[in-house]
Amino acid sequence: MTVLFKLSNITKSYGERQVLNAKALEIRAGNIHCLLGPNGSGKTTLLRIMSLLTPNDGGHLEVLGEAVNWQPSQLLRLRRQMAMVTQSSFMFEGSVYYNVAYGLRARKTPKKEIQQRVQESLELLGMSDFIDAPARYLSGGETQKVAIARALAVRPRVLFLDEPTSNIDPSSSLEIEQYIKHINQEYTTTIVLITHNFFQARRLAQHTSLLWEGHIIEEGPTRDMFHNPQDPRTRRFLKGEY
Amino acid sequence: MDVIGQGVKEGILLILSLDPELIQVTLLSLQVSLSALLVSGLLGIPAGTFLALKDFAGRKLILNIIYTLMGLPPVLAGLIVFLVLSNRGPLGEWQLLFTPSAMVIAQVLLGFPLVAGLSARAVMSQRQEAYDTAVMLGATRTIAILSIIREARMGIIAALTTALGRLIAEVGAVMMVGGNIQGKTRVLTTSIVLETRMGHDSRALGIGIILLILAFIIMLLILKLEKRSFKDDSTIQII
Ligand SMILES: Nc1ncnc2c1ncn2[C@@H]1O[C@H](COP(=O)(O)OP(=O)(O)O)[C@@H](O)[C@H]1O
Ligand SMILES: [Mg+2]
Repeated sequence: MTVLFKLSNITKSYGERQVLNAKALEIRAGNIHCLLGPNGSGKTTLLRIMSLLTPNDGGHLEVLGEAVNWQPSQLLRLRRQMAMVTQSSFMFEGSVYYNVAYGLRARKTPKKEIQQRVQESLELLGMSDFIDAPARYLSGGETQKVAIARALAVRPRVLFLDEPTSNIDPSSSLEIEQYIKHINQEYTTTIVLITHNFFQARRLAQHTSLLWEGHIIEEGPTRDMFHNPQDPRTRRFLKGEY
Repeated sequence: MDVIGQGVKEGILLILSLDPELIQVTLLSLQVSLSALLVSGLLGIPAGTFLALKDFAGRKLILNIIYTLMGLPPVLAGLIVFLVLSNRGPLGEWQLLFTPSAMVIAQVLLGFPLVAGLSARAVMSQRQEAYDTAVMLGATRTIAILSIIREARMGIIAALTTALGRLIAEVGAVMMVGGNIQGKTRVLTTSIVLETRMGHDSRALGIGIILLILAFIIMLLILKLEKRSFKDDSTIQII
């Protein structure tokens, strides 16, 4: 299987404090790969480095087969194969249509095709009725579904989800989990999912890396991690003592 | 009280009479202030956006200078432009003093800091998420920056409105560099000064009413523009 992301000794500090020191991480194509860990363990920092939004301080970073040099042309080319949804997604002022079409417009997709893909994406998330609604007035759950449709409309190879369900109620949360699974299976989209909810990791991810104070302390198939955790801190985390 | 009543009456009569000189003065007022607004906007919006988004040595200093110049007294702006354009000044050979062009230049000196400073504030109030969302959706850096400007447009329109209000109403700068020459550089505000000096109080007040109506019409047009771009935005409901 192809390795889409290859990280070695990736570090990041804010001021004096090192918030990330990831010795080794590989994300393979086709998986849902979960980055699990308590708040402040460096998950978002790691994701922002992989999605090329924040430069790392040290280490080696390979994204979609390329060593990252942070040149604007490379960033654009690589980012156009990715998409991201964060925990409270930012919506541009305008309609749901305007938002879902944004990535396609940026790629200069013909108008006819934009319309078709926006409709398709919204339909997949059960949000067709909202196409003309102002995006800033959606509820938390609706916003997240539109954000997923917006990400999906550009048909990314990799979808980053940073705590996509942390700000919404449990039933919407489960609904969105179904969509995440569906996207991974039907479109063979690789998904990197951040969560601090280990039940969610267990429901969705084939592979999990556990972060702890900036370090990846355990990693492997999700099932193994839950049934046979190696690190004592993993055991504590799974018992909810963090 | 009589003066005011008389002034209102005279103002209405003045408008109805379609006095050719007054029409010319009104059009010049509009021409000068709208030109100055256009130049201030074309320079000020990009400058403000740049200052808001680009971190470089001296950025804070430049922003503070701009914020200070937002309160530049019009007569001082007039004096500076006067000195630069006067025969002994560095640009004396351009022969611009006492022409509408000089008035536009002086008003740009007033309008630019206002547009640049308020645009910078409007762009700075946008969140990092706006930029991140744009680039993660595949926008180039330029497109992402344009998207941020679009998000900030309410504030930028407010900047332009504020600037126009200041320019159409100011008298110090246009008086200083225009000279209030009849048929050439006389505008509404300088007319009011002149008429008052000549003891034509009610005529001065009449011109003042025209100025007020003009300002009102311009604000209505801008509000309409604002509404058009915010049809999906509503007000805060306080119950
Ligand atoms: N821009 C920043 N400036 C300073 N500190 C930051 C910044 N971003 C993150 N941090 C710090 O880095 C640590 C890891 O943060 P983050 O990656 O957001 O954790 P997580 O997503 O796992 O909750 C936290 O202690 C956070 O306060
Ligand atoms: Mg986080």
